[in-house]
Amino acid sequence: MAERSYKHEVDLLRLGEGQTFRGEGILAVTKALLQSGVSYVGGYQGAPVSHLMDVLVDAEDLLDELGIHIEACTNEAAAAAMLGASIAYPIRGAVTWKSVVGTNVASDALSNLTSPGVMGGAMIIIGEDYGDGASVIQERSHAFAMKSSIWLLDPRPHLPSIVRMVEKGFELSEASHSPVMLDLRIKACHVTGEFEAHDNRKAAISRHTPMGSPATFDYAKLSHPPSTFAHEIAKVEERMPAARRFIREHQLNERFDGDIAEIGIVVQGGLYNSLLRAMARLGLADALGNTRIPIFCLNVTYPLVPEELSAFCAAKRAVLMVEEGTPDYIEQALGQILRRADLQTGLYGKGCLPEAGEYTSDVLVEGLAAFLEQAKPTGLDPAPARRLADSIKRQRLDAAALLDAELPGRQPGFCTGCPERPVFTALKLAQQDVGTTHISADIGCHSFGTLPPFNMGNSILGFGMSLASAAAVGPNLGKRPISIMGDGGFWHNGSITGVASTMFNRGDGVLVILQNGYTSATGQQFMPSSTAEGRRAETPFSIEATLKVMGVKWLKTVRSYSVGTMKDVLKEAMTSAEKGLKVIIADGECQLARQRRVKSEDAARLKAGERVVRVRYGVDDEVCSGDHSCIRLSGCPSLTIKPNPDPLRDDPVAAVQQSCVGCGLCGEVAHAAVLCPSFWRAEIIQNPNRFDRWLDGWRRRAIGWLQPETAS
Amino acid sequence: MTKPISIVIAAMGGEGGGVLTDWLVQAANAEGLAVQSTSVPGVAQRTGATTYYVEIYPVPLAQLGGARPILALAPSVGDVDLVVATELMEAARTVSRGYASAGQTRLIASTHRVYAVAEKSAMGDGRADSEQLLRVIEAGTRTRLLFDMEQAAKAAGCVVNSVLLGAIAGSGVLPIAPETFEAGIRAAGKAVDSNLRGFQTGLRAARGEVPAPVQPDHKRPQPETSPALALVARAHAELPPPARESAAEGVKRLTRYQDARYATLYLERLAPIASAERDAGGDGSLTRVVARHLAVRMSFEDVIRVAQLKTDPGRFARIRAEIGAAPDQPVVVKDFLKPGIDEICSILPSLLARPILALARRRGWIHTAYLGREVTSNGIGGFTSLWLMARLQPWRRFSHRFHEEQSGIELWLARVAKALAISPSLGLEVAECARLIKGYGETWRRGEANFRSIDRALITPALTGDWPVAFALDAIASARIAALADPEGDRLDRTLAAIDEGALRLAG
Repeated sequence: MAERSYKHEVDLLRLGEGQTFRGEGILAVTKALLQSGVSYVGGYQGAPVSHLMDVLVDAEDLLDELGIHIEACTNEAAAAAMLGASIAYPIRGAVTWKSVVGTNVASDALSNLTSPGVMGGAMIIIGEDYGDGASVIQERSHAFAMKSSIWLLDPRPHLPSIVRMVEKGFELSEASHSPVMLDLRIKACHVTGEFEAHDNRKAAISRHTPMGSPATFDYAKLSHPPSTFAHEIAKVEERMPAARRFIREHQLNERFDGDIAEIGIVVQGGLYNSLLRAMARLGLADALGNTRIPIFCLNVTYPLVPEELSAFCAAKRAVLMVEEGTPDYIEQALGQILRRADLQTGLYGKGCLPEAGEYTSDVLVEGLAAFLEQAKPTGLDPAPARRLADSIKRQRLDAAALLDAELPGRQPGFCTGCPERPVFTALKLAQQDVGTTHISADIGCHSFGTLPPFNMGNSILGFGMSLASAAAVGPNLGKRPISIMGDGGFWHNGSITGVASTMFNRGDGVLVILQNGYTSATGQQFMPSSTAEGRRAETPFSIEATLKVMGVKWLKTVRSYSVGTMKDVLKEAMTSAEKGLKVIIADGECQLARQRRVKSEDAARLKAGERVVRVRYGVDDEVCSGDHSCIRLSGCPSLTIKPNPDPLRDDPVAAVQQSCVGCGLCGEVAHAAVLCPSFWRAEIIQNPNRFDRWLDGWRRRAIGWLQPETAS
Repeated sequence: MTKPISIVIAAMGGEGGGVLTDWLVQAANAEGLAVQSTSVPGVAQRTGATTYYVEIYPVPLAQLGGARPILALAPSVGDVDLVVATELMEAARTVSRGYASAGQTRLIASTHRVYAVAEKSAMGDGRADSEQLLRVIEAGTRTRLLFDMEQAAKAAGCVVNSVLLGAIAGSGVLPIAPETFEAGIRAAGKAVDSNLRGFQTGLRAARGEVPAPVQPDHKRPQPETSPALALVARAHAELPPPARESAAEGVKRLTRYQDARYATLYLERLAPIASAERDAGGDGSLTRVVARHLAVRMSFEDVIRVAQLKTDPGRFARIRAEIGAAPDQPVVVKDFLKPGIDEICSILPSLLARPILALARRRGWIHTAYLGREVTSNGIGGFTSLWLMARLQPWRRFSHRFHEEQSGIELWLARVAKALAISPSLGLEVAECARLIKGYGETWRRGEANFRSIDRALITPALTGDWPVAFALDAIASARIAALADPEGDRLDRTLAAIDEGALRLAG
């Protein structure tokens, strides 16, 4: 699928009975799927779960042996709908995406899947992008599980626990006829560890051994009235009780006892390690997991099993609920369980712990100190806990105070040679000429246009939503807004929600589609319009042809590095008297993917003695005056600064690093922005032919005649 | 109670932080230790800060009787044993977040800088102060190993991560033998030799053989030429010691830029400033500042100057070295020249230039009319045309730009002299304002306009002597900083308005 190869990872997927798997969390999940006998897998890429699909798509041979059908879906709704195969057939399947955003897109299919319920085990692996390092809105997937009756697995971030929950999850799904979600936080996806592998399992029904005939017609399997009323009853009367029975019987949740038995802690499985670390710092646990305060670890956070929780809380004066994020769904449910069981156990949670943000061990130390102070367990002095919590706060403040001023941030940005950067350069220049307008940004690498040095974008509404989110802006602004969309976003849904909707409503606006050939931000996966020269059998879809068919009249494709042309086309689109949607396709292949390919091709050609021209840009440091306009219009990682070589000047001058890939933006910017004459472009001719040598000889001679002192 | 060893690795995308983490994990596995790593690499892009976190339990798994340590997925404040950073500012950032502690943490970091976008895009010098970064690191950690690992990696032909691995192996923080790490590098099978060389450099550094810092002298003084010799001697004789080096450089530069007569004018312009400063009891530091700025201003960048620099005898060799071209590889050098009406008029005599410029300004052509050219400057035609352009040097004296620049310089010098009479420090502030005028085209126009507004709004009233010196110093200094804050000039406008209010209060 992508330009990167995952051979090492594929080898790990082949491990058999008793061998030790060593690797990342998300890869352990992938292995566990194969051990569970799935018949199909699908998904839409997104950090932190992209790896699952990338590796499986590369594992073509293995999937073929096991008869597993795989789809790289065009969006999460398509992936969720794939699980429909498990409604009427006893086959296991798994799909994956980044949540909460992907779950939002998938939710229609999910509701209609969970209503009739499933016969074969159906699992959704969600990368819960919450907390430190998250790249999306901070919401929890828990709400979807509750509203649609999907069981939510939140295993301890420990490979054997994760693998067990995948395997048990399929059984739970089948036992209760409901899909399950495996919730993995970002760091759990990337956590490394080991587990003892089992053999991969071939499914009884698969593409190698198909059923042959369809399921008998059964109206009850359709999410359509009146079946839906029966489904609603089945959810509460049959599926939920069956799920709770399974969870209890198979002990999916874990109980760890301790000597301070009059209090206890209930924790989401995914937070177990952070909690244990906080407790170890307070002397309430050791590094091997022995705890003094009893812990109830919820590896299944929905549904809760009331009997388990009331049994844990029964003899306790107080419990602390450790649940990340808001609303506090689990804490509310626990309160109700205690009330119904008529238990007088005090319930602590939010209040001791913050309502928002990741629960790191530092946050948990503070929360535990507050809990101990309020619950006052016999024989445990809360003062040392408070002292540690205070010293953490002080250490944080003292450390920050070491700096005189805040350090400049180091946000991610466009890669060296990225074809999207020049488009933002052109947009900056065009707006200097014809005035600023509303910029509707989107999800993808191009959202880095909202960061320095460009700082452009008035809203981000979701993947592929830029054009749709500008629909009501134009009329109210009195100016044509500009929407930015990637080709990934276009195929994910922008073509329908944006283009079709605008055309249908005779909207007026400018859409810039950044066509780089991959869904780059998630790791350069292929998508419908990927050309990928010879590595995909299918003819790629054409965005241009698609737009024409949809009735777009004003349509221009511009090479993305041609800053001057792009600037003029943008100005024309912004100022043209003609009404209607104007689409500019900025065409330029993702440089990360391109370099990966070109580097090896060039190396092979060099080795074969063929002529290869390498291009590098540079700056004449004596000509550069140290104003850095070029950097403000580029932000390229390879375009940086260095000390001024002029003994009479101090401001650093611009410099181009070795990592320059010769994309040409520097020259384009110098021209289009009428900057300074300090940039040069050098073509190094490797394995020169006779003409190259002859020309070079004459050039050197001519320069030598004019300027004898020239060293060459 | 045994605690896990906690390691934070602060890197940037594409620097090999992930590989370094893998090496640590594999080595711990090889030693039979429980190990866990996590990362928040975010998206696939480069340049963003990326943090890796590793925990290793120092007691071998075999001795734990079946128990397994519970390892954390993120560092805890004040509880990190080892901070590893691929770059100086990321090292200081990690320390300033409180993870490191002065009682516990060893820090291993490279001292080279990779500049952040905000540092690079500043209009003047936006670089963070490395001395301050080092002070933060010093205050927030227990022990440190700091040296330029990028330099060391370059020498070894590897990436910075194998040097860091060697430094970690030699730090004694981990219960893992250096040989185990080396075996891991060999087993990985990628760039084995260069990685092992880098590893050894790091290991030796950890054991005390820190590579000496290579402080390349980045300044490139003008070559000595015979016409300048006498004038250099004159500069030494006439000027106070602090100003001599700059003035000598200025003399050499202007002799080459124009001729000995022009360089003599430079010394003649400096002389009254030097004597006035002496009379005011100054130590010559003002004269030094004026000597620097005056030389830069007098060698203003016109098309003749650009052509001179682009045909500089050493230039093509410099370019070949920079791009690493082999001797037998032809190199084609192209330059991006885009002279506009301003630039073309600058070499015409005022008689012609004035009406053309006036018309162009009226019609708005100044910003729109350009002659874009991509010149193959080591091609026969390209070099010849640049060479001919450089030969226009004697003609420069008669050009419009020359006259404009000389009157601008005289005005600035007069201001400096007058300010000096009030106070040497005010003279210094006024002299420093020359820094604003630099560059080409739009940049030059912007800088010149900023200088004029500061001159009108601050320098002129300050020189009447009505303002207290401290107020004037502060006003001019803050306006100069504001002028370099944003290209749109918003900050300068706000600052000038605020100073105006302050001046009114002063008067009332």
